[in-house]
Amino acid sequence: MEAKPLDSPTNFVNQLVVPGDVVLDLSTMANQTIKLGGGLRQDCDSITVMKAGKLRFTKPNKYWVESSQKRYVPCVGDTVLGIVVDTRADNFLVDIKGPALAFLPVLSFEGGTRRNIPKFEVGTLLYVRVVKANTGINPELSCTDASGKAAEFGLLKDGYMFESSTGLSRMLLSSPACPVLEALGKKLSFETAVGLNGRVWVNATSPSTIVLVSNAIMNSESLSAVQQKIMVDRLLQRVQ
Amino acid sequence: MEVDRADGRTRNQLRSLACTRGTLNRAHGSATWSQGETKVFAAVFGPKAGMKKNENPEKACIEVIWKPKTGQIGKPEKEYEMILKTTLQSICLLTVNPNTTTSIIVQVVNDDGALLPCAINAACAALVDAGIPLKHLAVAICCCLADGGYVILDPCKLEEQRTKAFAYLVFPNSLASVRRKGLLQVEVEPVEHGIITSVTRGVMPVEDYLRCLERGRAVSAKLSEFLRRSMQLQAPSESPTAVFETHS
Repeated sequence: MEAKPLDSPTNFVNQLVVPGDVVLDLSTMANQTIKLGGGLRQDCDSITVMKAGKLRFTKPNKYWVESSQKRYVPCVGDTVLGIVVDTRADNFLVDIKGPALAFLPVLSFEGGTRRNIPKFEVGTLLYVRVVKANTGINPELSCTDASGKAAEFGLLKDGYMFESSTGLSRMLLSSPACPVLEALGKKLSFETAVGLNGRVWVNATSPSTIVLVSNAIMNSESLSAVQQKIMVDRLLQRVQ
Repeated sequence: MEVDRADGRTRNQLRSLACTRGTLNRAHGSATWSQGETKVFAAVFGPKAGMKKNENPEKACIEVIWKPKTGQIGKPEKEYEMILKTTLQSICLLTVNPNTTTSIIVQVVNDDGALLPCAINAACAALVDAGIPLKHLAVAICCCLADGGYVILDPCKLEEQRTKAFAYLVFPNSLASVRRKGLLQVEVEPVEHGIITSVTRGVMPVEDYLRCLERGRAVSAKLSEFLRRSMQLQAPSESPTAVFETHS
């Protein structure tokens, strides 16, 4: 059994934490505002961990637990890929891999009026933005950005969609560009849409390119940047 | 210590533990847990919208399905499901996702004694893999009374069948905390000194039960340490196996 240090408090930032660990003691930090992200909850005077993962901290006061799951926890402002499961009079019901179905109002498109409501069949893939997300109520989506413009949101035609974990989606969307996408982009031309809810859509002119890009992305989850470049080079060599 | 167990273990020695997470592709969270020859798969699906009837919609609902290795589902399986459901309900944070159902399916691969503790450990690891919000983890251990009146831990099937009485005990895991221990006045007992579930079979005197509790609690610290380490080894989309041999 490891001995816990008694004289100095252990600092959990950038370390693995497990549900139940107390990572902050609010009684020792008075008059500070702390922002908690996903995976942490407040229990009277202590901040405890709800999900296993790495504890992250950015200045001045943001704490969150970084973990990668197959399901998604809806957050305001995220861009996700949703699949239409039903249509109602004033909402489309969209599945975004979260605990509840999300509502997409029929008017939340650029220039949307009662006369030009888009007709989405069941199973249509959409690139949408999360507008409202609270526990207990269905999240609300929108196909426009904050100013009301379409901005690439909406229906994704053709192409191929596959599921990934939320960690892989975040890696693909990280800036500077993710190594695997950069390496693929140098030799091939394709377009991708990445949803933070663990869905990725790839489109290219030929199906073989789509298959290649999808396989490269799926394999890159556990590889480092250098390993990703090597993997992509090997794949491209085999094809050409 | 007398070494008179069939496989040469001492009284407090557990069988070799192995835990793998992320074994199943389609499940939202999955884990395999084996203690010696006993092996159990657990898969978690959820949280999904919708509730069963007669459940409180202000809380999440947990549903457990127990699949035995062979044979039809009967009363023992229903009992295991009920025990697992109440144990897991007490470690999950039910108010985070109200009006949803999380399904946990437990598949027995091999039963060589201490089946229910193995299943509880597997289900807890699978819940962590799925990212279900938890208050803390649960570690389960089986203690039984040997002929000489002393307590032995983690019996195999033969030992379990010959014993007069045994107890399955589930404890919360040992927590790591930033709080300086010993400096704060702790009025309430810390969570890790509690007990979540206790299932007993057979007849045993009260002192022996208290001894089982004490032994189980001592070993639960080792089990929590193993659980924590097996999470450290986990890389996304890989499932390395953490193997732990305990000696005491």
